[in-house]
Amino acid sequence: MEIGKLQRRYLDFTSTLFHEGFLDNQFTQLQQLQDESSPEFVLEVVTLFFEDSEKLLDELSRTLDQQAVDFKKVDAHVHQLKGSSASIGAQRVKNVCVAFRNFCEEMNQEGCLRCLRQVRNEYFLVKNKLETLFALEQQIVAAGGSVPMMW
Amino acid sequence: MAALAISSCGRRALLVDDNVINRMVVRKLMEEQGIALEEAENGKKAVELVKEGRVFDLILMDREMLVMDGPQATKQLRSLGVTTPIVALSADAMQSDKDSFLQAGADDFVEKPLSIDKFALVLTKYGLQDGQAADQ
Repeated sequence: MEIGKLQRRYLDFTSTLFHEGFLDNQFTQLQQLQDESSPEFVLEVVTLFFEDSEKLLDELSRTLDQQAVDFKKVDAHVHQLKGSSASIGAQRVKNVCVAFRNFCEEMNQEGCLRCLRQVRNEYFLVKNKLETLFALEQQIVAAGGSVPMMW
Repeated sequence: MAALAISSCGRRALLVDDNVINRMVVRKLMEEQGIALEEAENGKKAVELVKEGRVFDLILMDREMLVMDGPQATKQLRSLGVTTPIVALSADAMQSDKDSFLQAGADDFVEKPLSIDKFALVLTKYGLQDGQAADQ
């Protein structure tokens, strides 16, 4: 595919991610921090987010599966996930974490389990979107073009 | 855990935050400004660093951390005689949380996540833009 078309597809896709609330301005901040000295900064941060989040989601499943749920432990994990998702601009994940913490405070296991399903769903959606975004970047670079920025 | 990034301009900061992603982003912000950064994953480690004799021009302190939280660590640092500016970091904090952090001895409160602009404002406010270290 021609570079111009790839770049337009990239911009359209990025625009959709923001418009649909998957990403917020914090993601743009990460892109602005990327430069020649750290050309893969966004990929590195997001990759770490993926690794960290999947560990947290597994821990949350385990902790909520107990007979006597340790809500403090659940809350600590959700707090971490909320912080990480906010740091990379994964807005929808972060928003579910806010609701999740409220259920932890109420010690509401059913509410927590519902939130776990939602946050897992939102996480894998944004993961899929970001992987697509990075694949588009690679295609543009492989075709000899530069990745256009939205700001 | 503490990691020191070498810088040639003499400014030194301490980031106290238990979130590995947050630390990565702030590390990059500091690198862009040429500020040497040490990191501590909780308040207790931060207090230990200071007791070991480390001196900083700025401390960024997260609010919620296991082992020792931001307000407790701030209180302890102030009781040790630390006069370094301490900027509290938190997301969605209630006014009462902000007040208790400031009462513990923090100089300022900034909402997370830290953006490039917010970070620049903090550096300007605490004199870290011109490469001169604050006195302790």
